[in-house]
Amino acid sequence: MRLLGITLPLLAVLMLLNGCAEKEKFIVYGSPQNEGEVEALIKEEDFVDRTTVIQYDDSMLVAVQIKPWDKWKKAKLEKKLQKKFDKKYPNKDVFVSADYKIFYEANKIKKDQIEDNKLSDKITELIKLAKEET
Amino acid sequence: MEKEQYQQLEQNVTPKPPYLKNVAKAFFVGGFICAIGQAVSLFYMIFFNFTEATAGNPTVATMVFFAMILTGLGLYKRIGQFAGAGSAVPVTGFGNAVISAAIEHRSEGVVLGVGGNLFKLAGSVVLFGVVSAFFVALIKYILVTIGVVSW
Repeated sequence: MRLLGITLPLLAVLMLLNGCAEKEKFIVYGSPQNEGEVEALIKEEDFVDRTTVIQYDDSMLVAVQIKPWDKWKKAKLEKKLQKKFDKKYPNKDVFVSADYKIFYEANKIKKDQIEDNKLSDKITELIKLAKEET
Repeated sequence: MEKEQYQQLEQNVTPKPPYLKNVAKAFFVGGFICAIGQAVSLFYMIFFNFTEATAGNPTVATMVFFAMILTGLGLYKRIGQFAGAGSAVPVTGFGNAVISAAIEHRSEGVVLGVGGNLFKLAGSVVLFGVVSAFFVALIKYILVTIGVVSW
């Protein structure tokens, strides 16, 4: 148990230090260039911590990470953002998700620089995954 | 010696339990177990196709599996002695209750010993979990039907 007494504080310090690393808060990847518009839309809501937007043609995937204390109301905030985007882009197929998995995969798409012809499939795949319940 | 006198004496002799220390131990060890659980959950999200909503089930299964191995090696009871509720409240405590009952009754045979006593300790957890979930869902269903809250 003495080992635990040493490891625990060390782990806590490591976790705290890890949080200090600065990360990019807003990322857009894909064909239609309307970054500024989307960014302004997201910036209006102060519960959003980080955002990655993947877009191709008429489909748009908005993956957000909500700030820690607001995560209690995650489902509600997700719905609120979805409504907002539907209103702003009525002829676009927008999907908003606050799930970490979707955010992670969206960042991976940006990191791997996936080409346009595969992007559409990738977006439908992620939307299907986000809707899965079991 | 009178009954009251005895109780007085007993109270004087019994050492005072270090409540604050126990609470701190339980808090940190329980938090550490939950941090491991979070790591397992992230592992399932990053390397497999699980979302935040669906990663719960395999995470619980994995944590119970870890508890099973630790119980079999006799390490979990040491953690339990040190941390108390900190090791009993997370799902690993449930796993420990199942496995330790199985190990205890192994000598009575597989069917009547292990099979019959597997849920001797954890059975009440399952029962009250299912029953309370049923009633909570029922209450919520009624509230939604009336229109007080939404799903």
